[in-house]
Amino acid sequence: MSNTDPTFGIADTSTFTCLRCGTSVSVLSPDGAERDHCPSCLTGRHVHERRSGGRSDCGGPMGPIAVVSDHDRWRLVHRCAHCDGLSEGDVASDDNRLVLMRIAVRPLAEPPFPLELLGEV
Amino acid sequence: MGRRSDRGGRRPQRPKTSLRSHGDRGRRHGPTAESFRCLECRLDVSTRAPGTAHRNHCPNCLTSRHVDGRLPGDRSAGCGGRMTAVGMTARSDGEWMLVHRCVSCGGLGTNRVAGDDNVRALVRLAVRPLSDPALTRSLLTRL
Repeated sequence: MSNTDPTFGIADTSTFTCLRCGTSVSVLSPDGAERDHCPSCLTGRHVHERRSGGRSDCGGPMGPIAVVSDHDRWRLVHRCAHCDGLSEGDVASDDNRLVLMRIAVRPLAEPPFPLELLGEV
Repeated sequence: MGRRSDRGGRRPQRPKTSLRSHGDRGRRHGPTAESFRCLECRLDVSTRAPGTAHRNHCPNCLTSRHVDGRLPGDRSAGCGGRMTAVGMTARSDGEWMLVHRCVSCGGLGTNRVAGDDNVRALVRLAVRPLSDPALTRSLLTRL
């Protein structure tokens, strides 16, 4: 963005409504990045095609399934409820920490093997 | 083929005598292959093993290969790149799923864990987001 841009200095105040919890969410996060998911329930919408980078015509709700650690920051992996497509996005600074932490510890809540035996493996 | 044959001037290597028995020859590649070589740790992984019916990642280092598109087994991705395991997720029934990311194209995929997967590697992946104490503390103190 340059100074000759007529929108320079004007914050984008447009909002979208979350598909799951109905919260009205501003398009830009407090750090100025464009949001791809609701900060309250972390649900996104399938509007970008990850493979080609263009627009997706699916539009289905994308639920958060996993937290991925990438160079000292967390990234959120979403799965589309309609078409099973996967996407990955940055965690915004005002995302719900409790929901984030719940997604991160969820595999450990139901391990497929007893974790007490891990010291003997 | 070999790197040397690309430098020009050298004749291509002659075909080697197979060390496998005659019945196994030709089954090294393709859908009926009995084993594959892991792209990361070079482990020779048998596709027939107790604990899994659909072997799609190395049981030692959990690395996969980008061959499938949206549906498991459809072989529609023309990428073929190495897919490293980046995260762990749990299905609603509690079963663990690996999240793979392709090193070549950045595509994502999920795979079920197998019964003979390396338990240490699985748990290390599951606790990796929580392993940085400074990050977790900052997440929990700014609620």
